[in-house]
Amino acid sequence: MIVELSRRVCDGFRLKFLYASGLAWLEHNRERVNQLNVYPVPDGDTGTNMTLTMRKAYAAISDWDDSHVGKVADAMARGALLGARGNSGVILSQILRGFANVLKDREVFDASTFAYACRAASEEAYRAVEKPVEGTILTVAKAAAEAAYRVAQEESDLQVVLEVTLATAKDALRRTPEQLDILRKAGVVDSGGQGLVYILEGMARMLQGEPVMLHETLLAQDVPTGDTHDGTWQDKLEPEDEDGYGYDVQFLMRGDNFDVAQVRRDFESMGWSTLVVGDPSLIKVHIHVHNPAHPIGYAIEAGAMLDDVVVENMQLQYEAQAAQRVKKDIDDAPVMVDGVAVVAVAAGDGMRKLMVRELGAAVVISGGQTMNPSAEDFLTAINNLPNDEVILLPNNKNIILAAEQAAKLAVGKTVRVVPTRTVPQGVAALMAYINANGSVSLDDLAGEMAASTHSVRTIEVTTSTRSITLDDVTAKEGEVIALLDGKLAGSGQSPEGVVEHVLTTLNASQAELITLYFGDAVREAQASRLGERLGELFPGPEIVVVRGGQPLYPYLISIE
Amino acid sequence: MTFLKIKFVTDSVADLPQELVDKHDIGVVPTFVNYGGQSFADDGKELNRETFYDDLPSLPTHPTTAAPPPALAEEALQRAAESADHVIAIVTPAKLSTTYNSFRIGGSGLPSNRYTLIDSGQVSLGMGWQVIVGAEVAAQTGSVEATLDAIQRVQHNQALYCALLTMEFLRRGGRVSWAAAGIGALLQIKPILQVTNGDVLPAARVRTFSKAVDHMIELIRQQAPLDKLAIIHSNNLEGAQHVKDTIADILPVDTHIVRVGPTLGVHIGPGSLGFASVSTSWKA
Repeated sequence: MIVELSRRVCDGFRLKFLYASGLAWLEHNRERVNQLNVYPVPDGDTGTNMTLTMRKAYAAISDWDDSHVGKVADAMARGALLGARGNSGVILSQILRGFANVLKDREVFDASTFAYACRAASEEAYRAVEKPVEGTILTVAKAAAEAAYRVAQEESDLQVVLEVTLATAKDALRRTPEQLDILRKAGVVDSGGQGLVYILEGMARMLQGEPVMLHETLLAQDVPTGDTHDGTWQDKLEPEDEDGYGYDVQFLMRGDNFDVAQVRRDFESMGWSTLVVGDPSLIKVHIHVHNPAHPIGYAIEAGAMLDDVVVENMQLQYEAQAAQRVKKDIDDAPVMVDGVAVVAVAAGDGMRKLMVRELGAAVVISGGQTMNPSAEDFLTAINNLPNDEVILLPNNKNIILAAEQAAKLAVGKTVRVVPTRTVPQGVAALMAYINANGSVSLDDLAGEMAASTHSVRTIEVTTSTRSITLDDVTAKEGEVIALLDGKLAGSGQSPEGVVEHVLTTLNASQAELITLYFGDAVREAQASRLGERLGELFPGPEIVVVRGGQPLYPYLISIE
Repeated sequence: MTFLKIKFVTDSVADLPQELVDKHDIGVVPTFVNYGGQSFADDGKELNRETFYDDLPSLPTHPTTAAPPPALAEEALQRAAESADHVIAIVTPAKLSTTYNSFRIGGSGLPSNRYTLIDSGQVSLGMGWQVIVGAEVAAQTGSVEATLDAIQRVQHNQALYCALLTMEFLRRGGRVSWAAAGIGALLQIKPILQVTNGDVLPAARVRTFSKAVDHMIELIRQQAPLDKLAIIHSNNLEGAQHVKDTIADILPVDTHIVRVGPTLGVHIGPGSLGFASVSTSWKA
């Protein structure tokens, strides 16, 4: 969507469009934000809470036709307060409140007013929290506001101001793990801060004419889930309080003549993560407590009418989340590399860790056989990298096309695709990459990486989804099958038996190296036993057993 | 110009074979390996260099290594100075060890016009070859200036690479930051290290040791024609012999197979294979 915007002033219509774009982009990335959520409670709902809050705010003006920017901003802030969910949602509502306070009586705003409004937004957000913690959405909001303020001193182009604000917000977001230990341990950036960045980014994208509105393909493609992360990281997120995380209680107090400051103090003595915001007639309460009866009882006794009461058991949420959370660190924060950067596709936390930590990939996009990343996903990864030259490793034959499309669509960067068809080919290509990056040209590097894949054979072990006879092999539905370089090569009852069979037909004793990447359904001891057994059967090659953590494939095997 | 008598002192990290030490009357100050609550001088006597590698993987705590104290350096330098007009000490790089500092302090009693201290920027025979060429040129020319010039030209025409069987020991040793980060552990990557200007760098990373050795042989060939070659190993004589046989066509007269001493051995672990070469171009 392209909107004619005078770049110097913004009226209510335009603010509404900007706002819709921010919401759409946040909505698109909601799941990513959820998966980052480790603070204050790792219950994986920050993205959802912020989206719900934004939706409520937008609903308040969606059918408005008013060009008075002050009225639009005020209505949105009121809507956000009514709809605020969770810590991040409440803070977001206060950001909108602070923003609206400055615009109150204005028909339009310019860069300088925008800057003041951003500052007020950030200050209001800080006031919403009893003890502000840095390394959170607050830090990102403050950095963004300060940047807006600085640049607006000499720049009247609102688009430029917004872009600088966004860039600074992203920068502040990247640094959140340095400020908040739990983020560093989990290897993620702050989820609320990320949510705010997506809102600003959505606005900037609309101004730049990039897609933000939710068309079907974008919506259909949620961020993959289902991987598990390793236990050591999970342990760090266990509640410090031996009673667990307790309950998340939220409600609106309606009435008149509330003393907001007094009410806030009273709630703060009752629990933790307390947020109390509003005015004498309407107060939004968000609090974490062990006994939900306390805050609710207090509100009733204070003469309030309760509305929109939500009580959630955070301990249960945490446990559910812990069971299925995706460790997102590697996906979301690209690793800075010199020279050419590599964007690879892989599923499984072990595999992603391997590619980033050991093999120098800058970004690993989650995906594979059942979840093919789109060209858009590649483009996003490419654009998030500071490098001018990028190589894509699709690591699956069904993803090569999307990678090639992305390479064509990338603007301002030179992108090559090394058409790896399997993850082991991708690993071989990355080995060539770490040895040659920085000493040869992009095309030579891509050439060396492609050449290195020729000496690798891949066995993929999975379960047959239907009965099939192909390439002289018969497999019944539900049986274990092995694909050798994409062709059906064996079937049987146990993954280990099938692996032995296929390696025997390959005359694996002649190989130099066999690498066994075991999946999320295989225990380490089981994989080690298979490794030992293969060592006895095939005395020639070195055998390396690595945790890939990939779903659906008990084993991925490379033979070199 | 008067013909000066010049003597050389180095430290045991140079891995100089005894025959060369004797031939050129070189002073060797031992470095130390500490483990099991004891400190052993790496002088070929206190530590059995062969059995040390057999024991290394199973030692309950990983050994640490230490530079010689200044007093030991002083003693060796003084002894050399008694029968020489000038003493040149070539030692382990300051970036890797405080040996250089011990030699600086230990030599402070000698008049500065009679003592030259050189940071070799190298280890093992990479450092050793600088000493040997220096001793040869000194014996021929009797000139400190010509000798120092020759040493500098060797430094610019030498190479040292080593293929490690595992990154584990380099990581445990903690002196090489990129190795300490644990990179390469998951895939059991075999690194080929290069030592240059006192830096230990990853020259290449490959998946199998035999590929690493092939790659290293290629690197030796790139250095030809050779004036001097040491094939160095940490208890991998068979591998060293294989390398030697493979490059029979380019072997210089001065070729040695040398077991790396325990001080370096602590950091590279058993089974590793490498080489220290000087190309003939140093003479040009």
